[in-house]
Amino acid sequence: MAEAAASGAARAARALAERLDARTAAFLAACVRCGLCADSCHVFLADGELDSIPGRKVERLARLHRRYRTALGRLAPALVGARAVDDDALAELEDAAFGRCTLCGRCALHCSVGLDPAAVLRYGRAVLGVAGLTPKGIRANADNGLATGNNMAIGKEDVGETIAWLQDDLRSTVGDPAAAMPVDRAGARVLYLVNPREIKFFPLSLAAAGLIFHVAGEDWTLSSTDFDVTNYGFFAADAAASRELAAKVVRRAEALGVEEIVTAECGHGYRALRWEAPEWLGRELPFPVRSMVEVMADYVAAGRLPLDPARNPARVTLHDPCNLVRNGGVIEEQRLVLRRAAADFVEMTPNRVDNYCCGGGGGMLAASEHAAKRLETGRVKAEQIRATGAKVVVTPCHNCIDQLMELDRHYRLGVEIKTLAEVVADAVVLPPSH
Amino acid sequence: MTASAAFVVAAAAVAAVSLAVQRLRLGRIAPPLAPAKGRAAAGVAYAFTVAFAPWAKESARRHLPTYAAGIVYHAAILAMLVRLLSSPFAPALPRAGGAVVAGCLAAGLGCGLALLAKRAIDANLRGLSVPDDFLANALVDLALATGAAAALAPAWLPASQLAGGVLLLYAPLGKLRHMIFLLTSRRLTGAYFGRRGVRPHPAEALRG
Repeated sequence: MAEAAASGAARAARALAERLDARTAAFLAACVRCGLCADSCHVFLADGELDSIPGRKVERLARLHRRYRTALGRLAPALVGARAVDDDALAELEDAAFGRCTLCGRCALHCSVGLDPAAVLRYGRAVLGVAGLTPKGIRANADNGLATGNNMAIGKEDVGETIAWLQDDLRSTVGDPAAAMPVDRAGARVLYLVNPREIKFFPLSLAAAGLIFHVAGEDWTLSSTDFDVTNYGFFAADAAASRELAAKVVRRAEALGVEEIVTAECGHGYRALRWEAPEWLGRELPFPVRSMVEVMADYVAAGRLPLDPARNPARVTLHDPCNLVRNGGVIEEQRLVLRRAAADFVEMTPNRVDNYCCGGGGGMLAASEHAAKRLETGRVKAEQIRATGAKVVVTPCHNCIDQLMELDRHYRLGVEIKTLAEVVADAVVLPPSH
Repeated sequence: MTASAAFVVAAAAVAAVSLAVQRLRLGRIAPPLAPAKGRAAAGVAYAFTVAFAPWAKESARRHLPTYAAGIVYHAAILAMLVRLLSSPFAPALPRAGGAVVAGCLAAGLGCGLALLAKRAIDANLRGLSVPDDFLANALVDLALATGAAAALAPAWLPASQLAGGVLLLYAPLGKLRHMIFLLTSRRLTGAYFGRRGVRPHPAEALRG
């Protein structure tokens, strides 16, 4: 055990010395430890601990970097606070990069120097991965995705059964026996990637997507294999796993000959495929990648999706998933849709790119060893929600959905948590022919 | 040229070469492959203009005295460096100019000392700090103090040049490297948010 740990530290030290991209290196040299980032972080706002200040979390990695990559770090480590890699240093880095950071990037918007602490801590996660210190749940989900094509290892038969049931439901809802939830249909215009949790636990959001595509007259398909929009390699900062997970769905889309990939409401999945996959794969993707949020906004704007907001009379507020909004640039589309789909939509404060992380980002929901901290840091979001007086919280991200549901129970908020598609589906006005 | 003036010139050359080498060693940062939603250039322009305004960042809005002290401190440091680097070739300042320079540097010194005190007193900030943070601030403050004195009384010029030269030699080693990497950092983060259509916000971009 001790030998394995020692070899982990040695591997981490080697990774620090050898693997560092220019962007992260610039950030590591730029931090002045001013601490002004503190109250831009929901973790620090919730616990007030020194270790939760973004600058401190960056420092957990920077001090190791300085030890191996700077002159003073080698000659006078005490002067610059440099430290050699050992088990304690790695444990503190793990606490910083996985336990106290969701990589939401809010601090990057507000850093006085302009560095991106989330990018630094992502590199920290990569170093921890080399040392074998990725939280087990995140690692297991990534490995499931690599082995089976989806992070929950759901078999093709189960997928088929759920979709067949949802198709029956769709037909009865719209009164059209020809209505379909198409699967593996080559030549469809759109491949819709789903979160395995929708198939296993939240079929209502998948049913909602089916209804929306049907009403909008979309030419679309699901896939029975490699359908997973999530990418736990991204959370683990495991470049090889991230690349292969992205490659699986890209290959599937190419095999089906679709013109576009539409991702289900999954913040990190959208970001991973839309923004990061081309870097991992070393090429531009041969088709655009859009979020279902953007697609719904287009349908609404084009008059393809008639909505009656009176069907959603309760007060609704919107949580902005960090990877979709702050790191993905999908900011106004969900607002356009909600204003048409709900009678009483109110923003939480702050909102849009300044919104706080719910605490469930960065793979935290899969890192059970940090569950207590995750719930504690969700207090900031719970207070935001309570202040709106909303009865329904909408968020276009399944990780956020899970976290918000837990926050609802833990902080007794008395709210309903829904995806955007579910709210839209409730407001859809079926054409007279139906 | 006096010995202290030659020391400044040599120290400046060492600092410039060392910082340039460190920046070059970062290597080329390849442009991203994903199609942009916004404009990287707009994000970079934002990062170097609006983002410096006190209302643009929460870290400035919520800490206005620290923000103001930081701005004055860094403006004074810039003035001190300009004076330091010109001093070997123009040792004397006109009386009025000297008073203005001394006033600027003294204001910066006051802000630097205030920031140093904050770092020592505030528990979180102290916990965040390493000895280099205090040393770097002290070296800068010393250069500001001697620079202010030299601007008023030429007899202080050798001391000012000595303190400034030591500062220049230390600059490439510790946290003072941020003088170069801050620029890279702001450019990269500005481009990141600009490409993704996050900063400037589309509405701000429309306003130009």
